[in-house]
Amino acid sequence: MSSPALQPRTRVTRIAQEAVDRARLTVVPRVRTRAPRVPFVTLVSVVLLGGIVGLLLFNTSMQQASFAASALEAEADTLAAREQTLRMELDELRDPQRVATQAQQMGMVIPAAPVFLDLETGRTTGVRTPATREQAINLMPPAPIKPANLAPAPILVEVPATTDPATTDPATTDPSATAEQPAARQRGKNRNR
Amino acid sequence: MVRLRVGFLLIAMVLSFFCARLVQLQGVDPGSYAVRAAAEGAVRVPLVAERGDILDRNGVPLADSIKGKMVIADPALTADEAPELARLLSERLSIDYFRTLTALRGRKEGSRYEYVARRVPSTLATDTLAELDDAGFEGISLQDDPIRDYPAGDVAANLLGYMGTDEPLGGFERTFDEQLAGVDGEATWQSNSGKGVRIPLRESTLRAARNGAALRTTLDRDLQWFTQRVLAQAVQQYRAESGAAVVMDTRTGEILALADVPTFDANEPTDADEDDLGSRALNDTYEPGSVQKVLTAASLIDAGKAFPRQRFKVPPNLARQDRVIGDWFDHGTIRLTLAGIIAKSSNIGTVLAADAFSPVQLVEYLQRFGLGRTTDIGVRGETPGILTPGEAMTSQTKDRVAFGQSLSVNVVQMAAAVNTIANGGVRVSPSVIAGSAVTDDGTTVGTDVATRTRVVSRQAARATARMMEKVVDPEDGVAPGAQVPGYLVAGKTGTAQRVAPDGIGYDGSTTVSFGGFAPADDARFTVYVVVHAPRVDGGGGSIAGPVFSRIMGYVLGRYGVEPTDGPPSRLPVEW
Repeated sequence: MSSPALQPRTRVTRIAQEAVDRARLTVVPRVRTRAPRVPFVTLVSVVLLGGIVGLLLFNTSMQQASFAASALEAEADTLAAREQTLRMELDELRDPQRVATQAQQMGMVIPAAPVFLDLETGRTTGVRTPATREQAINLMPPAPIKPANLAPAPILVEVPATTDPATTDPATTDPSATAEQPAARQRGKNRNR
Repeated sequence: MVRLRVGFLLIAMVLSFFCARLVQLQGVDPGSYAVRAAAEGAVRVPLVAERGDILDRNGVPLADSIKGKMVIADPALTADEAPELARLLSERLSIDYFRTLTALRGRKEGSRYEYVARRVPSTLATDTLAELDDAGFEGISLQDDPIRDYPAGDVAANLLGYMGTDEPLGGFERTFDEQLAGVDGEATWQSNSGKGVRIPLRESTLRAARNGAALRTTLDRDLQWFTQRVLAQAVQQYRAESGAAVVMDTRTGEILALADVPTFDANEPTDADEDDLGSRALNDTYEPGSVQKVLTAASLIDAGKAFPRQRFKVPPNLARQDRVIGDWFDHGTIRLTLAGIIAKSSNIGTVLAADAFSPVQLVEYLQRFGLGRTTDIGVRGETPGILTPGEAMTSQTKDRVAFGQSLSVNVVQMAAAVNTIANGGVRVSPSVIAGSAVTDDGTTVGTDVATRTRVVSRQAARATARMMEKVVDPEDGVAPGAQVPGYLVAGKTGTAQRVAPDGIGYDGSTTVSFGGFAPADDARFTVYVVVHAPRVDGGGGSIAGPVFSRIMGYVLGRYGVEPTDGPPSRLPVEW
């Protein structure tokens, strides 16, 4: 194992030749243990692949969640709207006007004065007056007086005198379309559901 | 070799093009490109704040907001199939066919955005859109457009006001808009499909909408409804021009009902006459007539200048400086007590009794009753009425003021004044807002800021109430029709001439009224009814009295107030 690198040294340190000879250093042979490559490569590949696939799946699932969120949001919106509409319907069912109309149709009237019945003693306080039809109140108040600009001239559609069905516009001659127009106007703006 | 050079040259040329483009993109105006890139796929959604409800005293909504949609057409896509589409839309949404047709064809050439309908309930709109999608129609889309709904229609409409297309146009809606409106928010995010699906992990912002706060009133919806119907019936029956009625809680001054006739449906304000949209009860003045006499009498008793059994000789006519004062009924010289003067509503007697007062003294009392200044309950455009200052008042004017002429009031002012007698001489300032709220001119109103001031002594108020009981007495009084069976009722009629529209003199029509409270010996409610210009002959007792009776009977029953067993008033009316 004499390497050329050592030679200049021997030349220089001639004085201590002996010592040098004694203390001759030798290079420890390099022990090359070859680690098996396959597991490492596999590991890296698996990590890489796993990462990519995981990222992909993660992304997909996020995208999926986003879709789901949008769908749920839309559903929540619809349900909230439905709830509000139902609440509005309920409010209108509770409208005193409606309740009174039904009650009056059933023959009930609002009494002129209350009478109290004490459940313990069974005695009444107040003057007992018979409820009569005359006490029924007029439930239909007069319609509000419409301003003049709300009695517009009807929209008249000139129907062409020709009898050829091909040249007439189906919409303008459709009797149901024109007939329902005043009805729609009377019902007003979107008050139905 | 040549081939290689040509190749390099080509590559160099292509690369230099790329370089030039790079410099153009990044060097010249990078900002605008960045903005355009961000805008591509950016979704910006306005989050509409929900308008606060207006509630009655029990939390029942008088006005509420529900989700709605506006239906928008893109005429570029809808024009071809306009008739079919219009027919379907007008049927489903109950809108005008011809207007829909015009919108679908585009009101202007090249228009891409037309309103077909606004404020359609959300469920109806989405159902209709789904139906259109199924039928293969294109070009119709929806956007948020909240609906203001007044579930009970005309109930309290004159106070609530109404909404225009986008802003409040009257009543509480406008006065308390700042509280009710809330603040709109906005959400932005990146979307890929244009269907509103977010791209995750991309920039998105959310500024949540702040919903409006509810406004709670002291009104009672059912009572308000009943009051309106009964009043409307009387106005119709007597072919009157208009009417107003107030129900007040005697002890708290809370207004439980404040009805105006004619009124309107708050859902359809444009269907009614513009003059009917405000609250006449507060915006219009009128001369109160004889109801005023109880204020004069209570003041006199409080000042120690009169007492209920005090005797007056009432002549058939009373000549005062500028003109002769008469009574509504013909009589010779009659001998009435002060109680009789109130029960029979004698002008002459009241003037004689009020002679003990100087104008300054009388006006001072009336001002403490709340006349001549606004009640500030939070209703827009309230009139303070007219009460001439005492120093400027002539004795003739004072004579007329004593029995309710030559001064003018609004309905709530007068109700609060009568309520002062009911409440043992303490005036509670009326309120229609529960808690407190700030109006658009910065005034805080509501029950939290209600004030109590003593106007007359407890004894004076009691004595006046005793005299007022005589008014509904079948034998001695002028308004037996105002009685509520089983209850002690105290009240006072009023029949006043109406000032001509030009403000000079009287026009021959009258304002009839009845103000009173029950149970008279422990008052819980004050009801005041005014009917303007009835075309059927009658006075406060015959026209307003029965309305008072109906409303009072209903409110006593509704709030479970049992009849008191106190003795009825035994004051003599004559001597």
